[in-house]
Amino acid sequence: MEPTKLSTLPGSREPSALQAARKRRSAIWLFFCCLATAFGLTWLVLILGSLFWNGFSGLSGDVFTQMTPPPGSAGGLLNAVYGSVVMTGLGVLVGTPIGILAGTYMAEYGRYARLTVVVRFINDILLSAPSIIIGLFVYEILVAPMGHFSGIAGAVALAFIVVPIVARTTEDMLLLVPNPLREAASAMGLPRAHVILKVAYKAARAGMITGVLLAVARVSGETAPLLFTALNNQFWSQDLNAPMASLPTVIFQFALSPYKEWQGLAWTGALIITLTVLTLSITARVLGATRISK
Amino acid sequence: MSAVVPSLPNLPVKVAIKNLSFFYGDTVALKKVSLPLYANSVTAFIGPSGCGKSTLLRVLNRMYDLYPRQRAEGEVLLDNVNILDPAQDLNALRSRVGMVFQKPTPFPMSIYDNIAFGIKLFERLPKSELDGRVEKALRGAALWNEVSGKLGASGLSLSGGQQQRLCIARTVAISPEVILLDEPCSALDPISTARVEELIDELKLQFTIVIVTHSMQQAARVSDRTAFMYLGELIEFDETKKVFTSPAKQQTQDYVTGRFG
Amino acid sequence: MAEHIVSAYNKELEVLGRKIAEMGGIAERMLSDAMDALSAVDVDLARSVIAMDIRLDILQREIEDSAILTIARRQPMALDLREIVAAIRVSGDLERVGDLAKNISARVLKIASEPRLPRAIIGLKHMNEIAATQLKDVLDAYAQRDVEKVQAVWKRDADLDALEDSVFRDLLTFMMEDPRNISFCAHLLFCSKNIERVGDHTTNIAETVFYLVTGESLPMDRPKGRVNGLKLDNEAPETTI
Repeated sequence: MEPTKLSTLPGSREPSALQAARKRRSAIWLFFCCLATAFGLTWLVLILGSLFWNGFSGLSGDVFTQMTPPPGSAGGLLNAVYGSVVMTGLGVLVGTPIGILAGTYMAEYGRYARLTVVVRFINDILLSAPSIIIGLFVYEILVAPMGHFSGIAGAVALAFIVVPIVARTTEDMLLLVPNPLREAASAMGLPRAHVILKVAYKAARAGMITGVLLAVARVSGETAPLLFTALNNQFWSQDLNAPMASLPTVIFQFALSPYKEWQGLAWTGALIITLTVLTLSITARVLGATRISK
Repeated sequence: MSAVVPSLPNLPVKVAIKNLSFFYGDTVALKKVSLPLYANSVTAFIGPSGCGKSTLLRVLNRMYDLYPRQRAEGEVLLDNVNILDPAQDLNALRSRVGMVFQKPTPFPMSIYDNIAFGIKLFERLPKSELDGRVEKALRGAALWNEVSGKLGASGLSLSGGQQQRLCIARTVAISPEVILLDEPCSALDPISTARVEELIDELKLQFTIVIVTHSMQQAARVSDRTAFMYLGELIEFDETKKVFTSPAKQQTQDYVTGRFG
Repeated sequence: MAEHIVSAYNKELEVLGRKIAEMGGIAERMLSDAMDALSAVDVDLARSVIAMDIRLDILQREIEDSAILTIARRQPMALDLREIVAAIRVSGDLERVGDLAKNISARVLKIASEPRLPRAIIGLKHMNEIAATQLKDVLDAYAQRDVEKVQAVWKRDADLDALEDSVFRDLLTFMMEDPRNISFCAHLLFCSKNIERVGDHTTNIAETVFYLVTGESLPMDRPKGRVNGLKLDNEAPETTI
């Protein structure tokens, strides 16, 4: 047999014109991808930059001790921060159990049920629904019958936003729990409820907490649903049955005003919300990462 | 030769499978399978992937009930009671028929709790007695010496082989009568495999053991009887020594000698 | 039978079979040459038989080595397992047949100086013919996996036993006639014993082939051809010679 010529073997070919063209196309493609990324990041940096620039100057002890001031005078954001914390807290407190139970139904009991498909579909719609529609809805069912805006209505509106987020993450996290683990627990004679509570929840815990944190981050920045429900309050009020201030609505009102002090406070408020959301998101990421690395 | 080796002792039938058929939706996975499982002996199910051996195993503790559109026909008599009866209490059944899975599945909790968990489900015991039971189970699974100093550590921190023995300990702890092993060594290294096989040898003194395995050598090593299955049918069921030295059916011969397909 | 999925496994078993066949050929040749050397008192032929034994020993060792390697590598099961065990045993039996033929040839060298061939040599030759046929038949049966042929060989060994008895009687008479015959006839007695043992190894091979094909054993007690034969009162159990 004749010895095989090296040049006929694949891989030892001279780099052809075809390959050169391919390389060129690849370089052009890469260039546009980088350009698009840079474009997006630039705006993000600009937004964050102006926020920090304008917000930090107004940040002082007064922000957390003084009430929102009347136009033209100095003050703080205490009532708005308080209102935000209370309504977010209540909304999450109400929404989380419902979300977790719904997610549990979808992932565990109703995994193969028709109903789950319907619930999941509706849940996804709710998840992406404009929040102003939720505000309008709560206005219709709570504010209108009661005759006035209230903190409770605000909390309910936020709960409506929390439920689909928590339901979705709970379902996703439970679906990630390997089935053999469930089978192993069932194989020991555990009733279904035990399997879920003692084994599946334990395995999915980090992910579920992440979901709740993401929900908190999401609702703490919501303005639209609160406009129709809690409205706003210029003064200190702990009454849940009365209109209540919140950071997003105060920012909305102050930022649109012609007054310098109000605009300054709006920037500061925006910074506070951004930092809070950022912290929560990072915490959620870290928790999520530890779950994956296990 | 074969005439000189003593035959297996006559042991009572613990589980009698009679005319068992199984369906995944409209697909038939088992076709009228009948065979006995003898007490205090190891029965191995072998066959190529998709032959129905795992399905058969999962009928024995009705694991398939977790999933929709799966159903069994025929009879599976555990101590003469048909466990396929819809009135059968599944949790009670599964406390009598334990199962160990292909991949080690320690629960996301401490080593101690992994075992105490199951015991607490069926019995209320004072702490000291519970400790004793946990130790006994770990010793039974030849794991005590390796974990006695770190019972509080997560079950997930153990090596694969240790995790699998933890799962066996967990199963043994609730004192079942039958233990089902679904390819228990397929994810383990040879040393861990040897440990588990040694364990199976000891466990058969107390339990009726059924093992599904892809390793014919393992089936030949650990089992007393072997069932060869193909395409949902039981092709041959006989003493292991017979199946691996001179099987009666050509299909069995082709499979065990590596001539299949 | 279908081929193994691993083709190298097939080759290993083929090689094993070929080597057994080669051993069988050599053993048959040695046996008939040894007898020819004895009846013609042909020293050269006897030497060539002795030389042939080396090749037989080497082959046996090779078969054992590769059989052990196959067991370690492939963990043979069922028919394959029986085939490998059979190869080890058959090669052992054939090696022994070679040794016995070599022993006959060695005796030819010893008695060559004073050959006194008695008429018993005819019986001896007849014994050897039967033993050679048996060996040939059993090797054919092994090659063809023929159980019926194997059983025939296994039963026919009784003829050889019966013949040995009559050769023994002849040689005894010859020794009593003239004491000078004793040393020569003693050697011939050993030769007849050797041929009888070749028959035993042949039946061993028959039993092995039966197991190889059926997976079962032949019964422990084989029909004996000696029930009505010569039975000396003080004859030691046959294993002692």
